[in-house]
Amino acid sequence: MADPTSISCENLNYSYPGAPGPALSGVSFEAPPGEYVGVVGPNGSGKSTLLRLLNGLLVADSGMARIGGRDPKSEPFEVRRRVGMLFQNPENGLVAPFVEDDVAFGMENLGVPREEMQVRAREAIRAVGLSGYERREPHTLSGGEKQRVALAGLLALEPEILLLDEPTSMLDAAGRRDVMGRIGTLRGDRTILHVTHHLGELLDADRILVLNGGKLVADVSPERLVLDADLLAKNRLVLPPLSRLATGLGLAAARPRTPEELAREIQEIIRKRAAAR
Amino acid sequence: MNRSLGQFYPVASVLHALDPRAKIVATALLVFGLFLVDSAAGLVLVVAAVVALVAASRVPPITFLRSLRPVAFIVALTALFQVLFSREGETLFAWGILEIHEGGLRLGLFLGLRILLLVSAAALLTATTAPLALSDGLEDLLSPLKKIRFPAHEVAMMMTIALRFIPTLHEETQKITKAQAARGADFSEGGPLSRVRATIPILIPLTVGAFRRADDLAEAMESRGYQGGEGRTRYRELRFRPRDAIALAVTALVLAGAALL
Amino acid sequence: MRLELRDIRHVYSPRTPFEVEALRRVSLAVEPGEVLGILGGTGSGKSTLVQHMNLLLEPTSGDVLVDGANAATLKKSELRRRVGLVFQFPEAALFAPTVAEDVAFAPRRLGLDEGEIEDRVRQSLSLVGAEHLKTRSPFALSGGEQRRVAIAGVLAMGPEVLVLDEPTSALDPEARGDLLRLIRTLRQTGTSIVLVSHDTNEVVEVADRICVLDKGEIRAIGLPSEVFYMIPEFAPATVQTVSALSDIGYDAGSPVRFEETLRALKRLVEG
Repeated sequence: MADPTSISCENLNYSYPGAPGPALSGVSFEAPPGEYVGVVGPNGSGKSTLLRLLNGLLVADSGMARIGGRDPKSEPFEVRRRVGMLFQNPENGLVAPFVEDDVAFGMENLGVPREEMQVRAREAIRAVGLSGYERREPHTLSGGEKQRVALAGLLALEPEILLLDEPTSMLDAAGRRDVMGRIGTLRGDRTILHVTHHLGELLDADRILVLNGGKLVADVSPERLVLDADLLAKNRLVLPPLSRLATGLGLAAARPRTPEELAREIQEIIRKRAAAR
Repeated sequence: MNRSLGQFYPVASVLHALDPRAKIVATALLVFGLFLVDSAAGLVLVVAAVVALVAASRVPPITFLRSLRPVAFIVALTALFQVLFSREGETLFAWGILEIHEGGLRLGLFLGLRILLLVSAAALLTATTAPLALSDGLEDLLSPLKKIRFPAHEVAMMMTIALRFIPTLHEETQKITKAQAARGADFSEGGPLSRVRATIPILIPLTVGAFRRADDLAEAMESRGYQGGEGRTRYRELRFRPRDAIALAVTALVLAGAALL
Repeated sequence: MRLELRDIRHVYSPRTPFEVEALRRVSLAVEPGEVLGILGGTGSGKSTLVQHMNLLLEPTSGDVLVDGANAATLKKSELRRRVGLVFQFPEAALFAPTVAEDVAFAPRRLGLDEGEIEDRVRQSLSLVGAEHLKTRSPFALSGGEQRRVAIAGVLAMGPEVLVLDEPTSALDPEARGDLLRLIRTLRQTGTSIVLVSHDTNEVVEVADRICVLDKGEIRAIGLPSEVFYMIPEFAPATVQTVSALSDIGYDAGSPVRFEETLRALKRLVEG
């Protein structure tokens, strides 16, 4: 598949030097263009390793990966032109002493001409809702703001594929909402691979890959996953409370919903029962 | 910690608007030129020039003087050393083995003043030049050295990253210190040796943390296509204007004048 | 021990252009043996607040009282032994060559003899489920393991009040569950726990009382059922659902924790 926005890998294997066992073994999957794919699993399951193999930060011991038609093993920098990766630690992804300079960093690396950089940097900063923050210093920003700056830096390069490595795990609830809100607007044109522990972020994903012990143990829709108590338990996955309330009451859990929406669904059940009597 | 990086004082002034390369060269000229200035009149001229520059920079004098505080001790010590131990010129005061000579007094004053002026020049530079501009300017000035394999870009990049992380590391230090204090660590008790030992629970985690940060940052930079200095463009523009040339010329003239006086 | 904060006001960088009033007249008490949940977002002042509990920060005005006595009159080391504070991301302060030595740091500072220190190290590592990591280097552990070791390091002091600032930050669900279990265990031993968090869903499952901090002031403090139903915007998903139901005319009582809420909702649905 030579489509610029697709990801495919076959039989990927990787062991960290000196580790007792493989971090990833025999992982194969395909993400067609525009898909939003979640990646979950207990700690040590290989989720972060997978992302790093896909953008060439690590080189697979064996197996094949194609990102937008390119092989990260042989052409890592070509891959990185099209793939944006967001990391877990908001602090350590920011290089420059000012927001707009950091957003421009990637473009500088790619040799984008200055005038174009200035336009694209402004645009990217606006796209993440941080207009006015151009001259702010990173240490004065909240975690959510830092991640959004990092995201702007990625967007300025107009990537077709996004790899997200637990981008919200170090953020508080407000920061998580801000960052996931922005990421939500990026769906559709781009292929997104999102590693997270918060299943609530993946309820409306197209697919969810479950990794455990380096192996791909499931490749399912969110609907299937939330109803499979066994799969959830075996892989130490926990649904958010609203979803658990929904499942507990026999409702479809794989819909992101607000408490008000759940209340209405409950109202529906009560009405149906009353009507049935 | 609200103060900007290093001692940069963000305000609009004639000095702030100058090209960083001109300012770096001017500062270098001042540093070297100071050692050619040998007369009282010459030094007074340079002092007057520096005072005028501080005024032109629109940095509040108190803030500026505060940035000189760290060296006040060294200046005083150096000057005192000269005053007490130099045997040049006629004796002004003698008491046992303690002798103060005219030459010593002069030397002490001159040396102290020179150091003060030197540090003032550096402080003026960092107060009126944004850190990124500084590292860009430095990179430009050093880039001819790339021909002899000098890593000008890498040096500038290191400066930028270091400047970016100073406030972060400062916060980290405070956090670690508090965490250890919560476990009963006391940093103010005991003699010098135990105080040094007491810093181990701060230095080790700080260092380990710094290495981890470096790993994370390297991953992020690589992912964003960083491959070293080749083929990079620059977001910030450095434009050498006529006024920068004038500033350099004025600096050279003042120094020449001071040296000849 | 009853730890009381009375009329605490804290101003950072007073009389400078950067002056900021982080806490304005906060009064609360931590009752013996309770789990007090402190909720608030960034900027609410919760980190400032907890640092007053062991006087790492001194109040601009107001007092900290330990069993009625002014904490300022106690020796700092004594206060910090009795009120143990675990910061957010505590693993950033691990420093010793082995886990055992790191956990021994605080007991050693207390001047205990080697035998007592060894006991304390063993007990606290056991409490957090990390005895098997005793001889490992703290820097070779996973994030979750490091977190546990850092907490053990504070537990080794045998505090009467344990203050935890966002203890589950960045932990995976399994590690979170372990930590909540630890909190319940500690509570059973009579230790009071102050749990600071932005995650209401988590706090509600262990807290006896809740304090909501907003912009340096206490919005509400009391039993979870009182506080959450009074200000549903700060409430966990369970309360928000029951509140929403009540808004459209259905009464499911006032449950707060997950299990009791599910039961109440089932009862409501089954009629």
